[in-house]
Amino acid sequence: MTKIKKTIQPASFKINAGGTATAYGGSALPDVVRQRRAKLEASVRPGDIPSSAEGDLAIKDVRGWMLREPISKRAYTVIKIQTASGLTGFGECAPLWPAEYAEAKTIILGKPVTSFDVTASLLAKCPTARAALNIAMLDVVGKLCKAPIFQVLGGPTRHRARVLAPIMGDTDTALISAMNRAKSAGYMAFKVPITPVVYRNQGQAYVQSIVKRIEALRAAGGQDVDFVLDGSNLLTPGDAQMISAAIEKYHLLWFDEPCLPAGLGAFKKISGGSVTCVGAGKKITEGSEVQDLFREDAVDIIRPDIGLNGISQIKKMSTIAEVNYATVGPNHNGGPIGTAASLHLAASIPNFFIQEISFPEAQEDQAMRLALTTVPVEVIKEGFAVLPVGPGLGINVNEQSLEKYKEVTL
Amino acid sequence: MKRRDFLYGIGATGALLAGNNFPESDSDCGCDASPLQQQQQVLSAPKTPWQRGQFDHVLSKVRITNLKVFGVSITPVSDRPYVFVKLETNAGVTGWGEATLEGKAGAAMACVNDMKDFVIGSDPMQVEHHWQSMYVHAFYRAGPVIGSAISGIDQALWDIRGKILGLPVYKLLGGPVDPRGVRGYYHARGGTREELIKLRETAERDGVTAFKTGLPAPAYEWIDTHAKIDRAIKQLQMIREALGPDIDIACDFHAKTSPSVASIIVKEIEPLNLLFVEELTPPENNKALARIAKRSTTPIATGERLVASYGFRELIEQGIVDILQPDASHCGGITALWKIGAMAAASGLSMAPHNCEGPIGGLAAINTDACMPNFLVQEVCSGVEPGLNEKVWEEWLGFPAQRMVNGRFPLSEKPGLGFDLSEDAFKKYPFGGTVPMGRVFASDGSVCEW
Repeated sequence: MTKIKKTIQPASFKINAGGTATAYGGSALPDVVRQRRAKLEASVRPGDIPSSAEGDLAIKDVRGWMLREPISKRAYTVIKIQTASGLTGFGECAPLWPAEYAEAKTIILGKPVTSFDVTASLLAKCPTARAALNIAMLDVVGKLCKAPIFQVLGGPTRHRARVLAPIMGDTDTALISAMNRAKSAGYMAFKVPITPVVYRNQGQAYVQSIVKRIEALRAAGGQDVDFVLDGSNLLTPGDAQMISAAIEKYHLLWFDEPCLPAGLGAFKKISGGSVTCVGAGKKITEGSEVQDLFREDAVDIIRPDIGLNGISQIKKMSTIAEVNYATVGPNHNGGPIGTAASLHLAASIPNFFIQEISFPEAQEDQAMRLALTTVPVEVIKEGFAVLPVGPGLGINVNEQSLEKYKEVTL
Repeated sequence: MKRRDFLYGIGATGALLAGNNFPESDSDCGCDASPLQQQQQVLSAPKTPWQRGQFDHVLSKVRITNLKVFGVSITPVSDRPYVFVKLETNAGVTGWGEATLEGKAGAAMACVNDMKDFVIGSDPMQVEHHWQSMYVHAFYRAGPVIGSAISGIDQALWDIRGKILGLPVYKLLGGPVDPRGVRGYYHARGGTREELIKLRETAERDGVTAFKTGLPAPAYEWIDTHAKIDRAIKQLQMIREALGPDIDIACDFHAKTSPSVASIIVKEIEPLNLLFVEELTPPENNKALARIAKRSTTPIATGERLVASYGFRELIEQGIVDILQPDASHCGGITALWKIGAMAAASGLSMAPHNCEGPIGGLAAINTDACMPNFLVQEVCSGVEPGLNEKVWEEWLGFPAQRMVNGRFPLSEKPGLGFDLSEDAFKKYPFGGTVPMGRVFASDGSVCEW
């Protein structure tokens, strides 16, 4: 990685690392271009976002709760901010280390809530906390403007948001019953795990086990449901390619992260080898990674995680997908506050396709998700989520429940 | 009703949307003119999602009630009469935008009017949705005429959104990066060495940190003579010497040069360490631009004639240039300028938006610049001393819209784009009609780029 890349784009180039960058992309920049950028870099200096608590909109207090669902053990963090004027906002992110939280808190205290976007570069070294802070700041801005976040951001671009439920189970039978439960809750699209991976390069029998799984789910679910096959980065590129070709005729929504996207070359090969759509990007936190995916023709859908990025970061990523005539299907493995943020994002960008929402099996987990907000957020009808309306996130967080379900107070 | 009362709750849609009569087309392209076919199309045309009431629960109560277009010529021979767009709402709030298109004022005004149905009856909050509809449903996507019309409407929608939501546009976009304002540059119009030294003194006094200049000849041929090339190099050397090492200098080639001529000049002026060289070639051929860029260490800027984020994709993806210069009044307004900035940031490119039209597009650009971490510098087509245009702008807006303070364009705390404007202000400056841009010819009379 060159010096220039490091300074202009603070994030690491995770995806690019093993890739085959083209003539001008990534690490293959000609020296002359590098010199040019270095000259320019001297002129582009970050400005001073006011850090002293000037005005009512400055962030005066930050609090956090690390939560965990009792049965699924799914973990997520909720952050609350308060302005000098007393307005409060909530955000959610993936599990957050206390050290990262402390660092982010130091950076964000005193900043105006309206700097929800430009603070991204200051918070680049604590990207997970950045996600929750971005959502919380937008929540406050919405409340300040008395408008839902999607209206603040130029939406609604749609009046409902398509949703995807991940289903779990060791066998096809277990998956079918999980699908039926999610279906009766209103879901019409399901993310299905691949059959267990025992060897590397498993060949024909393994490919057939995947085909059989899809056929069984299709037979049980009918013609009006849709599937995403979740590779969970577990496959070799060879197996992934064979599977991708074998499942073409089932018209899955997409094949999700069949192998590690760090090997962009492998991804490009899978994507180029069949017409099955390919999705990737659950771990990305910078637009540069999205640019790399599209520069390499690697994907049909990008999957940035709401709990790792927040709203603004994904909105920026979506601009790169948009010009590639491609779509955004955010990943979400967190709680209902993150879901609400996702739905505002969905209604703010033009090229949203689908939002993944965790659908826990256990009653206890479902009860916790319901208890975190005063009105249910994850209301699903005919495969689409109802958009939250009302100022900010349009939800009221129940702080007593945060206390009840917390593992650690940050 | 108070402004804020319009914001949420069930929107009053029905009556206003009656005029919003889009056919939602099926696979038939509508080319069959037989009366029966036409009648069937009208009868069977399903309503829009708005007319079906599907958006009711997520819209504000604000609706656009009227769209007006003004052609405004500061002088009767101006080649760029300003095309201003005014949107009126049922909330008593109005919004202004600018669709000025150099040399094609009539087309830009007509195109804004062509888009009336996309706007009247709609909720200004959903500017992204309207932008998509204007661009995608235009079928042809967008060139400069449609791009400028969308820009004018988009800016006016953002102005209204800011006024309704109670925040300046740059705060709605999540900014500012720097509350002191947005760094800018003036054009260096002084010719002699003495004039340029005086310019440096004025700049140092006023805190101006950058200037832009151009090439000396009105036109360059495919391959040019030693004398003309040498003159261009010597002039730039003289400007650097007169302005000193501490002021940034950019040079606009204005696409007057072929890749062959541009390459030679760019090579020779490398030791001057210019801030950037701009529009080395016309905009259609990125490969030609890459041919020059491969051999230059001076940062390269381009983009004032490109439309929408789509128009910038290849430049960004292939890393051809270093700086993008979309124009907020051509590229698709604030919505498009912001997206181009976000895409550029992901590839480490900087933003130096173009602005050579009126004050509204300029303020739209400044508001957007303030939210770009990769922002470099903003153009204003004016010198250190204000000209006639700036005096008229101040008369219209009540403040010097595009004059810098300490080298920066200040940011307003007022909501929207930050100004109040009455359409009566234009009465003194009636539309003088479309005037073509300048035309230049080579020594043998053939057509040259300008």
